[in-house]
Amino acid sequence: MRTITSKVFSPAIRIVVLMIITTGIAYPLLVTAIGQTAMPSQSNGSPVILNGKVVGSELISQSFTSAKFFQPRNDSASGVDPDITPDSAVSQIPAISGATGIPVNALKTLVDLDVARNKETNALVFTPDYVNVLNINVELVKQYPDVYAQEVSAKEVP
Amino acid sequence: MDIIILLVVLVGSLGLAVIFGRYMARLITYEKRPLEKTMGQVENGFYRIIGVDRYEQMTWKQYFLAIVITNVIAAGFLMAVLLYQNNLPLSPKPGLSLDLAFNTAASFVTNTNLQHYAGEQQLSIFSQMVGLIFMMFVAPASGIAAAFAFIRGFIRKEFGLGNFYVDFTRIILTLLIPVAFFSALLLLFLGSPQTLDSTITMGTLQGGVQTIPTGPVASLESIKELGSNGGGFFSANSSHPFENPNGISNVFECILMLVIPLSLPIAYAHLIGKGRGVSILAAMMIGFGVMLALGLSESSGPAGLETRFGSFGSTLFLETSVATNTGAANAALSGMSPNAVIGFFLGMFVQAIPGADGTGMMMMIIFVILTLFLVGLMVGKTPEFMSMKINPRDVKLAAFVFLIHPALILIPTVLAYTTGSAHDTLGATTPATFTQVLYEYSSASANNGSDYLGTLANTPFWNWSTAWIMLIGRYAPIGLMLAVAGSFTLRDRKEVVEPIKTSGFLFVGVLSVMVFVLTALTFFPFLVMGPFSI
Repeated sequence: MRTITSKVFSPAIRIVVLMIITTGIAYPLLVTAIGQTAMPSQSNGSPVILNGKVVGSELISQSFTSAKFFQPRNDSASGVDPDITPDSAVSQIPAISGATGIPVNALKTLVDLDVARNKETNALVFTPDYVNVLNINVELVKQYPDVYAQEVSAKEVP
Repeated sequence: MDIIILLVVLVGSLGLAVIFGRYMARLITYEKRPLEKTMGQVENGFYRIIGVDRYEQMTWKQYFLAIVITNVIAAGFLMAVLLYQNNLPLSPKPGLSLDLAFNTAASFVTNTNLQHYAGEQQLSIFSQMVGLIFMMFVAPASGIAAAFAFIRGFIRKEFGLGNFYVDFTRIILTLLIPVAFFSALLLLFLGSPQTLDSTITMGTLQGGVQTIPTGPVASLESIKELGSNGGGFFSANSSHPFENPNGISNVFECILMLVIPLSLPIAYAHLIGKGRGVSILAAMMIGFGVMLALGLSESSGPAGLETRFGSFGSTLFLETSVATNTGAANAALSGMSPNAVIGFFLGMFVQAIPGADGTGMMMMIIFVILTLFLVGLMVGKTPEFMSMKINPRDVKLAAFVFLIHPALILIPTVLAYTTGSAHDTLGATTPATFTQVLYEYSSASANNGSDYLGTLANTPFWNWSTAWIMLIGRYAPIGLMLAVAGSFTLRDRKEVVEPIKTSGFLFVGVLSVMVFVLTALTFFPFLVMGPFSI
């Protein structure tokens, strides 16, 4: 009886221990090592950099309190949807133009450029058109530094 | 555009399944594989440590016992990790309650991945990695191994069903790890993070500071989809941009979910006859096609759906995920159209279109046996399968496999209402809340894992009830299916023309209709009370 029991349990325990080491430790650590070495940006959350400073993750929505920025959605499945539809972006243009004095046409062009850029990321066909809110807002700050000086100045920590 | 996405998913997964299916056929019959020498050496090292003789054969009872014992030990380990993660390294979090830890361990060992916890908030990196990623290999490998033993029952005579430890080792080392590894690198490239830190602190554009939960996401995500697991690193699952960053990752994850379930009928085709295997694949694809057609017949969202996936990308992913019993979600179920939800129920009720890794294929064979029996009755012929007589015991076992599922769904659904637990969690009984309860138990019993309730169901009632249903829903059918295979392997086979051909257009048609009729007859009244009334 004793031998039968040990014959059933011993290989089961050993195989579990081996697989914990192989699949639970070695495999994720190897992927981590390769990721951190070869793809550090993606491995660490795809940071967006403006003027040498990290201003957020391209993939994670952040809130914008100033009316001069495009706003993300406030519902979404994940709660951190970084994107809005082109229609939603276009509908925000008049208000942003009003708050900043940037011409409506220029804003529309920025929206179109961001849509085109995202299309490329998705090999043209794999998603519907969308606008990445952080990217387009960073583009605004880059192109109109004077308009946004006050909004982004807070991050100049003394 | 949408049609291109659909074609890429179907052609990609079927194309890869042809390659994988051929490889699995070699695993089943121990044929020489590419790199046989190197892989053989590594495997032999494992067998030596495990202490098994790789030529030793198991009866169906020994094979089933080995699955159960290995799974129990693995689940015990996971449960201990979850209970005591506060004492373990890598950003410890408070240990889970006993009922939640039991539910989670049962959920992951049964390939279900129903999640009554919020991953990024409640689990440490150690639990996600050493606990869950490990289990995400164990569960599908057990299912695939069972399918290997099952198939051997039909192609071998009195030679045993193989050795579980050998199958399990070979499936993990030479199939799941390599594919998961390269898929993780691709997902990483597309934007899934991979780090041992639990959070990342970043500035915001307006000068604030944000803390974003992260971890070894890419390495979990690949095996989550490949292994028909479905348990997300984040509670938002594949709708979270770190798990599913863009349209390409969305399509790739769909292919990953489909590839192994579609490979098994191809392996079967290599071993048991091309016509028979392709017919089973065709029946699976017809069922999957019905689910897709239902889902795509109505547009979903936009509330609850991620902008980068839209209605089409969300519906395609979710129907694929439920069809393969993966249960991953790239959108909130509450955002999906009623027709799409009916498609989800169809997939969970049938469990074989194409179903989970390993078990989907076995379930379809059970439907084949039931179909042969019923059609045999109609035309007055003794039912035979692969030149072997189907005896009353086989039919009883097959019918029992089929009936376990409705029993495990409908009885607890009724209990949830009579005990008041459904009311406590969801409030007034409406078609919508009834649908959520029915869905929870369908998902648990089918070892699917998609759900409406999520952390809402983290109460002792839901944790204990769904845990036991997942366990019975997993091991009872596998045991019975192996018993069927065990009795076929002893049977005489004569090379004669089958009285009812199990391949060809006619059989595919009859099988598909039979699957649909059996399922509809069983569940229709409950669908009328739930999703049909929303």
